[in-house]
Amino acid sequence: MPLSRRVSRLFLVSFAAVTTTLVIALLLRLSAVQAQSAPQNQLTVYSPQTTYSVPLVEIKGQQYFGLVELLEPLGSVDARADGKKYKLRFTPPGDRPQEAQFADGKEKAKIRGKDFKLPGNFALQNGRGYLPIAAISDLLSRLTTQETQFHPAARRLFIGNVPERFTLGIFKDKASRLFIGFPSAVNPSIATEPGHVRFTFRHEPVVSPGLDSVKFDDPLITGATFSEHDGLAELDVVGTAPLMASFADGGKTIIVAAAPPPPPPVAQEAPAPQVPAQTQPSPPQARQPAVPRLLVLIDPAHGGGDIGAAITPSLPEKEVVLALARRVQRELNNRGIAAGLMRNSDVAISLDQRAVSANAARPALYIALHAANTGRGVHVFTSLLPAENVSAQGFLPWDTAQAAFLDLSGAAAGSVAAELEARKLPNATLVAPLRPMNNIAAPAFAVEIAPPGEKVDEIASPAYQEQVAQSIAAGIAAVRGKLPQVRP
Amino acid sequence: MTRRSLLIFAALLLVALGLAFYALQLKRRVARDEQLAAQQQLAMPPPVNGPPTAVTLYIASDSEGILRRTEANVVLPSERTERARAVLRALFGQYLQTPSAHPIGAGTDIRDVYLLADDTAVVDTNAAFADAHPSGVLAEELTVASLVVTLNANDSKIQRVKILVNGQERETLAGHADLRRFYLASNLGQVAKDLQ
Repeated sequence: MPLSRRVSRLFLVSFAAVTTTLVIALLLRLSAVQAQSAPQNQLTVYSPQTTYSVPLVEIKGQQYFGLVELLEPLGSVDARADGKKYKLRFTPPGDRPQEAQFADGKEKAKIRGKDFKLPGNFALQNGRGYLPIAAISDLLSRLTTQETQFHPAARRLFIGNVPERFTLGIFKDKASRLFIGFPSAVNPSIATEPGHVRFTFRHEPVVSPGLDSVKFDDPLITGATFSEHDGLAELDVVGTAPLMASFADGGKTIIVAAAPPPPPPVAQEAPAPQVPAQTQPSPPQARQPAVPRLLVLIDPAHGGGDIGAAITPSLPEKEVVLALARRVQRELNNRGIAAGLMRNSDVAISLDQRAVSANAARPALYIALHAANTGRGVHVFTSLLPAENVSAQGFLPWDTAQAAFLDLSGAAAGSVAAELEARKLPNATLVAPLRPMNNIAAPAFAVEIAPPGEKVDEIASPAYQEQVAQSIAAGIAAVRGKLPQVRP
Repeated sequence: MTRRSLLIFAALLLVALGLAFYALQLKRRVARDEQLAAQQQLAMPPPVNGPPTAVTLYIASDSEGILRRTEANVVLPSERTERARAVLRALFGQYLQTPSAHPIGAGTDIRDVYLLADDTAVVDTNAAFADAHPSGVLAEELTVASLVVTLNANDSKIQRVKILVNGQERETLAGHADLRRFYLASNLGQVAKDLQ
């Protein structure tokens, strides 16, 4: 082989090696970025008390769930790591405490004093306990003494007698209509495309009626397919023409029918007509007048990439406030007050989004929950806006929407402070320039909890959080007569 | 060289050019970040001569959740905005000590103070002020209140204060306190009274 050709080949081989290495490095970097932005795997849990989601993490190729994240919405949890051991005490509402013990890297565990073999090793990471997802049904059956159903492929877990089966029925009158009946009211998101209406149930424990796919002998509505995936359920109704859906019976019935034909084109010379808004067909039975409701919206601050304050290196504010929010919700429910959570999992919501969602929900009261590792006790904040004599009706300026509600906000905050005082919890009531409080068009206050004593991690202790939650709920219950009730 | 070798060479050359472009972008980004960091390094304050003057500082305490009115002696420049900056630097100096009753982020400083229409101060802080500030409703409120009330206590004409971070408006200080608004000294003066 001539020398020039050898040199040329050597150059090519070296160049190829260097370039390939660089390309691989670049691809790895890109895939890392994509992995970071990929949506998190989540498990949806339906229980008689609430519906919530639990993030799943991958450990050694298996999917794991956090014990505290799973159990906290269902009762009081006290968990602590002691070396390689992890001790858990779970108290369901109105029941006795149940204890469990796990060891890092071991399959053997002890639940309620009995040996229990896990389907994989227990994992302890940063003081938090994780179990393989295959263990979830057995664990909950033992800890809650309730029957559980787990749909692993769909990542949906049902605790107790919550699954709701729906019924399908075609009625042929002048035009075909499909009636879908549910045991309780549902609020799915609805997507329509030519020949399809798709219902997505995120919060309802809707399960298959028995057959996942049904065919109808009807010229308009030809079938329906039920499926579960990614922690939600979907019902796809198929037709031969554009379809539309309407609700009846207080949300317990969905009626699918042919969509009305589009209005005929209007000649350009003609005056612009008043096009009537497309209306849903009236329900088959008269609606009962809506009952005024009192809804308290609880907003656990931060979430997702926004961890808030680092209470300790392994305890972010976002986790402390979510646990507290669930306790407050439970305490309010125990007092007969409906309460919703702005987030019930580790998701990021911008400050403006929080205000928009809160205002759309038209709550009687909005509570933002925060936590800090500075100071002591509990601080209750109302908006720093100067009081203005403005009407709460009609449009309100975005930046000062809260000004119209300052009196009621102050009354609710004062009532909560009085309950904190009654429980001998150190507290103070202040005004603060806290976002997004000024944008909330409802009575609103914020609560920031700090550790009760010298030890910072006591902020997450169940006893302390329970006392704070009870104070908040009792304070709200004391002023419920003053809070505005709205019709849904 | 064979035709096949030439084709491989051309393909690899294209890949190399792509990588070179990517490297160039990275280099530019690093240079931009370095320039930004350099901008944040404050110039040395102008030398100030003269006797120290007593100034009023409202010092925050996290553990007690209060603002405490104190006096300190500071050599003040004659120019009004420089005076405001010197007062705020004296305030931040208290917080940057170790230990501090109200710690703020290391490296926190005032880049500049601008006066608008005589009664409005725009305080431009460096990035460390917000990026490294401890997060919390009370902690952030104490910082904002002590800054605004201290400015007003030493220059009573200042009635409104806007806080910028690195020359830009920020949504919040460290996740809680609103930095998009103009703060009224009268409003925060009442907060300071409540916190004393």
